[in-house]
Amino acid sequence: MRPVVVAGAGMIPFERRDDDSLMDMLAAAGLNAMDDAGLGNLPVNSVYVGNMASGLFNHQVSVASALVDRLSLLPAAADRVENGPASGGSAIKNGFLAVASGFNDIVLVVGGEKMRDVIGPKATDIVACMTHPEAEYIYGLTLPSMAGMFARLYMEKYGITREHLSMVAIKNQTNGLLNPYAHIQMKITMEGILTHPQSHVNSPVVADPIHLYDCCPVSDGAAAVLLTTEEIAKKLKKPLVTIDGVGQATDTHTLQERSDPTDLKAVTLASEQAFKMAGIKPKDIDVAELHDAFTILEIAESEHAGFFPKGEGAKALERGETQIGGKLPINPSGGLKARGHPVGATGVAQAVELVWQLRGEAGERQVKDAANGFSLNFGGFGNNVLAFVLRRKS
Amino acid sequence: MKTITAYKCNNCGLVMYPYHDRCLNCKGRDFKEIAPTSKGKLLTYTVIEQLPWGMDERGRVLGVVEFDNGVKALGLIKEEAPRIGMKLKVGWEPVREMGGEKIYGLTFEKTK
Repeated sequence: MRPVVVAGAGMIPFERRDDDSLMDMLAAAGLNAMDDAGLGNLPVNSVYVGNMASGLFNHQVSVASALVDRLSLLPAAADRVENGPASGGSAIKNGFLAVASGFNDIVLVVGGEKMRDVIGPKATDIVACMTHPEAEYIYGLTLPSMAGMFARLYMEKYGITREHLSMVAIKNQTNGLLNPYAHIQMKITMEGILTHPQSHVNSPVVADPIHLYDCCPVSDGAAAVLLTTEEIAKKLKKPLVTIDGVGQATDTHTLQERSDPTDLKAVTLASEQAFKMAGIKPKDIDVAELHDAFTILEIAESEHAGFFPKGEGAKALERGETQIGGKLPINPSGGLKARGHPVGATGVAQAVELVWQLRGEAGERQVKDAANGFSLNFGGFGNNVLAFVLRRKS
Repeated sequence: MKTITAYKCNNCGLVMYPYHDRCLNCKGRDFKEIAPTSKGKLLTYTVIEQLPWGMDERGRVLGVVEFDNGVKALGLIKEEAPRIGMKLKVGWEPVREMGGEKIYGLTFEKTK
């Protein structure tokens, strides 16, 4: 396989975007990535669009075909990639394979979702369509409630408290204040979301023990990366950031069939694959973007990906090691918690943040001297997980 | 009483629910259909305050129960103060209405 460079990265601010259609957002993010690379009129061979549910959210399908038309990239190949909340990561994997294999030289990967076209409970229902129809969906199981059942066991097993969960929320929303692309621009305090007797007014229960401030918001947004060969990337003159490791693994559809429901096996396996391929270890990573759709997941993923032993993730968080300026900054972008989680966009937005961090273009939230980045895109409730290692070439 | 159908692998004995075309352990394709036993214990649960569209209620308790014969399944817990390890007996009742139709599923309540 030949090396794959992320030559361009771009996104649009995640927020509630009532004036934009899904296609407006995908096109704007795609153009941002193409312009960032300085692609000019070079032909894009192939376009992958990560999107979970445009048919249900926006009554539009075949969105990749529509996007190449909008961007005048005809006759480029175009595919939509659907893999639940890991659709963005899967789209990047497909783009990576197309360039690495020699099948394509220039590939545009765009991830996007427009979720706020529907009311909140409807969005909850659409997202719940990824649960098992017969064994889960009919009972009203939602993704936050899967997180609730997981958190109850994980917290008990490893002595994690609601204060730890709140620390993740506070850290990521603090980081989000430094990210102009983040949906949630609000400083929060431990008193306001946990310790004050009236804090439940601000942060009510969603699915016990998961409260509102343990959940990512429902957002509209899109993000894009332009992938190409080293040879072409050198002509484009951007600092070289390469995708050195890719991993993906799956696990049982339902939580109850996992012999240990607190063990996120697919996270471990996908991360191990990505590190092995990149030839580096978790301790070599300078900055990580993890899939904190729920606060408990940032802690659990930081352990399962190999950054901390099981049960130590919360302690590292307590010591401030995962803050910007700490030993391993996690989610300097604000993560899903603050940046938002337009499902199909997330895996791509994580890559965009890593590219900015590795190039030294992340502004106030820049992790000093970041050379090696890691991202984890978590689909379903851990039943389909992608991991990536991105590196700056000196 | 109606209930779910679970599956026991004729080769290695693994008990599965829901259905898989090949055994999750040995890849076998022959299964015996089994029913869950009448009682089990609660493995984990959550109390959902924000339910999906079409479910106009609050405080719905869902949990995973392990039956005495090893079948594990999610169901509606009809118990206001659930705790992990609690012994529960199973029922089969409407758990949701979809398109005007009552959908039946597993329900659980405390053993007397």
